[in-house]
Amino acid sequence: MSEERGGRGRGGRGGDKDKAKGEGRPRGGFFRRRRVCKFCAEKIDYINYKDVRILAPFLPERGKIQPRRISGTCALHQRKLQVAIKRARQLALIPYVTD
Amino acid sequence: MSTSRQYELVYIVTPDATDQAVTDLHSQIEQIVQRFGGTFDKTENWGRRKLAYEIGHHREGTYVVETITGSGELMKEIDRRLRVIDQVIRHLVVRVDEELRVADRTRSDRSAWVARRRVARGLPPERQPGEGRGDGDQDDDRDGVEGQR
Repeated sequence: MSEERGGRGRGGRGGDKDKAKGEGRPRGGFFRRRRVCKFCAEKIDYINYKDVRILAPFLPERGKIQPRRISGTCALHQRKLQVAIKRARQLALIPYVTD
Repeated sequence: MSTSRQYELVYIVTPDATDQAVTDLHSQIEQIVQRFGGTFDKTENWGRRKLAYEIGHHREGTYVVETITGSGELMKEIDRRLRVIDQVIRHLVVRVDEELRVADRTRSDRSAWVARRRVARGLPPERQPGEGRGDGDQDDDRDGVEGQR
């Protein structure tokens, strides 16, 4: 994602290009969702470890923390999310592992 | 005198504890807080909740959340006490004042930034009622994402 941005440059960004990204990459051939950090988009500043509803989408069936490359969370919020999930696990709000 | 900080204390009481036992536990903690010159800000009882995994053969427990302002020594004492009490099957102390301050600052920074942008575009600084999500606003959202990367 970062190399895409680097090639385009800040000034030349237009509405139509944003739309093109939503439909997948022009060259790569495979479909790719536009990844936007959920916490940036919804302007959630404090990731509360007691709120399971916020954390749940980032925990796949197995109970592991979803990597950033899949969820699209930005580095800052992934760090905060990680801490929140680990706290919630200690309090048995969410499982460490599910088999 | 030690500095005052805000902490969040969450503890889980065994499911077979009565309501009376839970209130007793609460007043016990309150006494410690008073002795160390701290203040109780908020208490929340979530009631009985299913645990995500078994803790000491228990499948559910009563969750209590307390917000306490006080010194580190106070929380150390509470932590030590809760460790001893058998009825408390799990507890967690988290310092929250700094995290909340950071969250507050990002929020106010963002609103200030939005107001500046709006003035620059010749709009009143506050969002007007009935104002739709225009193209300009969508662009702002994307910029916010990039800025935090």
